[in-house]
Amino acid sequence: MRDVRGDVVRRQLQADHGCSVERVRSICGYLIQGETASETIASRVDDLFADPIIEHGAANTLFLSTELFDQTPDMVVTVGFKPGVTDNPGKAATDGYLTLFPEDRDARISTYTTYAFYGTSDLDPTWLAGTLHNNLIERALVADRTACQGGHWPALDYPTPPEQVFIQPKSIDLECDDQTLESISTDGLLALNLEEMHAIQAHYRDEEVRTLRTAHGISPNAPTDVELECLAQTWSEHCKHKIFASRIHHVDHETGEDTVIDSLFKTHIMTPTHDMQKDVDWLLSVFHDNSGVIAWDDTWSVCMKAETHNSPSALDPYGGAMTGIVGVNRDILGTGLGARPIANTDVFCFGPPNWEGTLPDNLFHPSRVLRGVHAGVRVGGNESGIPTVNGAIVFDDRYIGKPLVYCGTVGIMPRNLPDGRPSHIKTPVAGDIVYMVGGRVGYDGIHGATFSSLELTEESPSSAVQIGDPITQKKMVDMILEARDEGLISCITDNGAGGLSSSIGEMAEYTNGCEIDLATVPLKQAGLSPWEILVSESQERMTVAVRPADQAAFEALAGLHEVEATPVATFTSTGMFHVRYGEETVAYLPIEFLHDGVPQLQLESEWTPPEQQPFVAPKQVDHNELLSSMLQRPNIASKETWVRQYDHEVIAQTAIKPFVGVERDGPGDAGVIAPLHGDPHGLVISCGIAPRYSDIDAGAMAAAAIDEAVRNAVCVGLDVDKMAGLDNFCWPDPIESVKTPDGRFKLAQLVRANRELERVCRAYRLPCVSGKDSMKNDYGSGENKISIPPTLLFSLFGDHPDVRNSASSDFKQAGDRIYLVGHSQQELGASELAFMMRERDSNNGIGGNVPLLLNPEQNLATYRQLSSTIHQGLVKTAHDCSEGGLAVAIAEMCIGGRIGASVDIDGTGEGDLWARLWGESLGRIVVAVKPEHEAAFLATMKGHPTTILGEVTATSVLEMVDGDTLLVSSDVNELAHAWKGTLDMTGGVA
Amino acid sequence: MLPRVAVLFGFGINCDHETKAVFELAGAEAHRIHVNRFISGDSNLADFDILAVPGGFSFGDHLGSGRLLGNRMRFAMRDALRDFVDAGKPIIGICNGFQVLVKTGLLPGPGAGESPDFVQRGSLGLNDSGRYEDRWVTLEFDQNSPCIWTKGMTRISCPVRHGEGKYIMPTPEALEALSTTHQLTVRYVDPSTSVGEGLSDTALPYPLSPNGSMRNVAGICDATGLVFGLMPHPEANYARWLHPDHTRGTAPIGTGDALDSWEGEGLQMFRNAVEYVKQNR
Repeated sequence: MRDVRGDVVRRQLQADHGCSVERVRSICGYLIQGETASETIASRVDDLFADPIIEHGAANTLFLSTELFDQTPDMVVTVGFKPGVTDNPGKAATDGYLTLFPEDRDARISTYTTYAFYGTSDLDPTWLAGTLHNNLIERALVADRTACQGGHWPALDYPTPPEQVFIQPKSIDLECDDQTLESISTDGLLALNLEEMHAIQAHYRDEEVRTLRTAHGISPNAPTDVELECLAQTWSEHCKHKIFASRIHHVDHETGEDTVIDSLFKTHIMTPTHDMQKDVDWLLSVFHDNSGVIAWDDTWSVCMKAETHNSPSALDPYGGAMTGIVGVNRDILGTGLGARPIANTDVFCFGPPNWEGTLPDNLFHPSRVLRGVHAGVRVGGNESGIPTVNGAIVFDDRYIGKPLVYCGTVGIMPRNLPDGRPSHIKTPVAGDIVYMVGGRVGYDGIHGATFSSLELTEESPSSAVQIGDPITQKKMVDMILEARDEGLISCITDNGAGGLSSSIGEMAEYTNGCEIDLATVPLKQAGLSPWEILVSESQERMTVAVRPADQAAFEALAGLHEVEATPVATFTSTGMFHVRYGEETVAYLPIEFLHDGVPQLQLESEWTPPEQQPFVAPKQVDHNELLSSMLQRPNIASKETWVRQYDHEVIAQTAIKPFVGVERDGPGDAGVIAPLHGDPHGLVISCGIAPRYSDIDAGAMAAAAIDEAVRNAVCVGLDVDKMAGLDNFCWPDPIESVKTPDGRFKLAQLVRANRELERVCRAYRLPCVSGKDSMKNDYGSGENKISIPPTLLFSLFGDHPDVRNSASSDFKQAGDRIYLVGHSQQELGASELAFMMRERDSNNGIGGNVPLLLNPEQNLATYRQLSSTIHQGLVKTAHDCSEGGLAVAIAEMCIGGRIGASVDIDGTGEGDLWARLWGESLGRIVVAVKPEHEAAFLATMKGHPTTILGEVTATSVLEMVDGDTLLVSSDVNELAHAWKGTLDMTGGVA
Repeated sequence: MLPRVAVLFGFGINCDHETKAVFELAGAEAHRIHVNRFISGDSNLADFDILAVPGGFSFGDHLGSGRLLGNRMRFAMRDALRDFVDAGKPIIGICNGFQVLVKTGLLPGPGAGESPDFVQRGSLGLNDSGRYEDRWVTLEFDQNSPCIWTKGMTRISCPVRHGEGKYIMPTPEALEALSTTHQLTVRYVDPSTSVGEGLSDTALPYPLSPNGSMRNVAGICDATGLVFGLMPHPEANYARWLHPDHTRGTAPIGTGDALDSWEGEGLQMFRNAVEYVKQNR
């Protein structure tokens, strides 16, 4: 029988490293700590650990020393978890073990995997072990050739976590000089700046504060460690978005502008959305909750949130990405009184997977980051039963320094609960009991929020990395949604960054107070100190408030679902965030100070346009060769092998899938779902991202991202009059400092991006209902510093009146007429073509005109008409024209339909041939129409830029001309082959 | 009274909502029931006419897909399940549910005329590709199968979404025995073959067979034809708007009229069981 686990390792060694190994065999190991006699366990191996039909099982012996391994391997590597790291198979095994041995209640199981290698030639065993494990969370043992021949097999011990030392809460004296204040912050990983330390210092000098504190038996003049940690979490960049809230002095050397902006967020994001909220009745909840909520029909509302998990994914791509996706699922579960997650989106930015340059210390090769991140969101999404319906993968060298991992989730909830309460409004009152539901609190996940607000260094703590546990979370989701429908929930939020300190602290704003007893919080391991319990970000936890009268019913439901739910706090109206450990008060902070006490940052911004050597079109050129090469570019190439490993159809609602067409391998522009079974009313989910435009202008980058998200959604049939957006900014540190001498420029980029965001969103009537920012995406310092290109991911969700009238990008039938909607301008700056030419010859530049959105009002009007043709059933084929321009768009449409086309780009715009063929001007969509619908299509599009390009042909050749000049004549199957090859890193199925 | 369907959920089952919905579209009254409600006696399996074990990742599929949920059912619901089967009531397991039924021993089950003995006789291993994949496949049904779920069905397309779907019997003789009794109910076929001529004992290449199953088996039934399980998801093609070809206008129309001309090919399977219950109780 085939050893598929071993085959996968063998293929990956081949695909990623070109190492050929003849054969790999795998062994799954279980280390059991318990009271049951080992002979008793041995008699039940086939009932639990081994499949009696396809596997061999053995107890108390290493397989390698049995006759099953009669041939001595050349090398053996055994990989297991480090102590305290989440071991999901071990947890499941323990659960199954208790089904067999219910009396052995305290038994624990840890898992490991052993790989035996045959025919390894001259591989270095230590290197091999390095490719198979991440030493931040895993340990590996190796047997080299000599050890194998001697029968010295690696054997791991049960990973017993070290004892945690309980530290009594203590106070920290802040009556010291500034230097000491700064070192308290730095040494404690608090990420508080001097001004913030001063604000805290001042609080404890207030006589009223001192009197109150004395009365409660807590250190009157100085914060406790619990308080300082709590403030650090609550005031972290991650939680408070201090840069977006800052007061910015902005100077523009291009225009001479010299101005002050009081909060980018309030000015450019919140105000426009609130203005739009006055005009429509469907914006139910914006900004203040865990996700933004819109009314979808009379009975249902939908919500969406996107998050980033960049720093954890850099340290442990698998665990970091998995906690990213299951974490954003909890944002949906914690919206209003609880929404059900129904769709995920994943957008990643990585270094090139085929990178051959040097790698800075402590950074993984981009292919390993890609594999790990992909596996994390795959497992997180698939096991949670949430389809991944949309996403993107973007590549640029600079993401080697910090990968970007954006995870988004869409949720649905009834507009009113059975008891009549609107589900998007939380209804807590003082006296409600606050439960911690789901997982327990452990040492894992301490300092995640403050850590993500620091840049990546060699000393980044491993405790900041966690592995998600989708099944614990799935049980919790099932339970909470039942509790919601039974009317048992008065308030709910996620335990994410900042742990209980943030979740209870934020909810306590509703009633103006809370009282927490940390001694009641269930722990993964004994010995955690009070401050650790309060700020630990251990995963899979929700904080839920319940009326005292509903406690019994709530706890019974938790018991049924085998979900732990423990009362840990009570809401009050005292105005205080009051934390006890048993009887001792360990924190006593005014709610107002906790949430609004952080001083506003004062920042400097200075814009001078970056100088880029302009892109110049080559003289001698073969456009056929260019097209093939462009299709192979990682940014353009098919991501199918990766995307197909996501379940994109669970819930039976996905009407437009990530890949479309006859062979189901053409690109889908946006996801469309019909979430109510039996009802074709739909929802469109799309995204836009164009980070490289920031090399010329981050404002243009932002506008391009928004337009792309809208365009993608229009291509499948979005109703443009009901759409909402999410802005997720990932930036390099934009605060000027010794480490960041160009901070003013990076902040000016942020200012420009926000201004364009406001301009375009107002023009598109596209409210941003939720968003997030991640502002320290740098690696290293000095000459070795790597800063990511400023990147805005714009996600969109909107209405689709009837999914039966959708369009997809694949060409359908010979004779269908092809049109370009929109105009091509002379805009080749920062285009994919320019980057390719620069990679071919470093004398080439990428500068020039970057695509601009000059008249978004006109674009919206055109999109509305085009959507209407799709809703009328006139158009079944539409594709967004973006990276690689018209040439790539048309090639992809041919690939999807596995059919040829004849296209003339003459008359598509004012630009030269290069701009019209390869340029990435915004606002363009390629459409194909059946001849019998052509007249009606043109009538609807009257007055909007609509240019005939040609028609779909009954051939397998894509032919593109510019008037009399033949530019491209390529076989569609060869184009498909080129497009699909680059990122197929599977090593095949043999 | 409408036939009553118990749709199992909990512990990582995740296709419970759509499985409930397709039974309702097929004319039944369906309820999502948490596994523990049956185990605690809160709900009684005997009160239902049909049991569905939906897809998902019960217990994360650790220690083998369907293993841990299968064990819970094998040990804690043994009598209720035996009585249900002995009473001649239909059971379906889809994807993870199929894996669960195989691991409990309900599929392929003992020989004709015998009560369930909860002995595992077959298994589902990792796909040969080593990858979990979501892709549409073409299925064809054994017209002579005793399976009540697939009566009258010839060929449908629907997605597979699994990483452990390679059906395995321990010996060629055991596999041949299932073939002889027409329990190899549904298999992956090459869509370019004529309808009715797709079934083949020779392994099809990836991805026509997405997992490398013996004889391209996608699903099997027990000797009575009442217990049935399959890896692909027929419920995911309950409506034509879920078919990848619907924008091309070539998505096949289902046999019923639950959604007018938009019923998908998969719904008939659920209607078959509902009709069976109506006629046989």
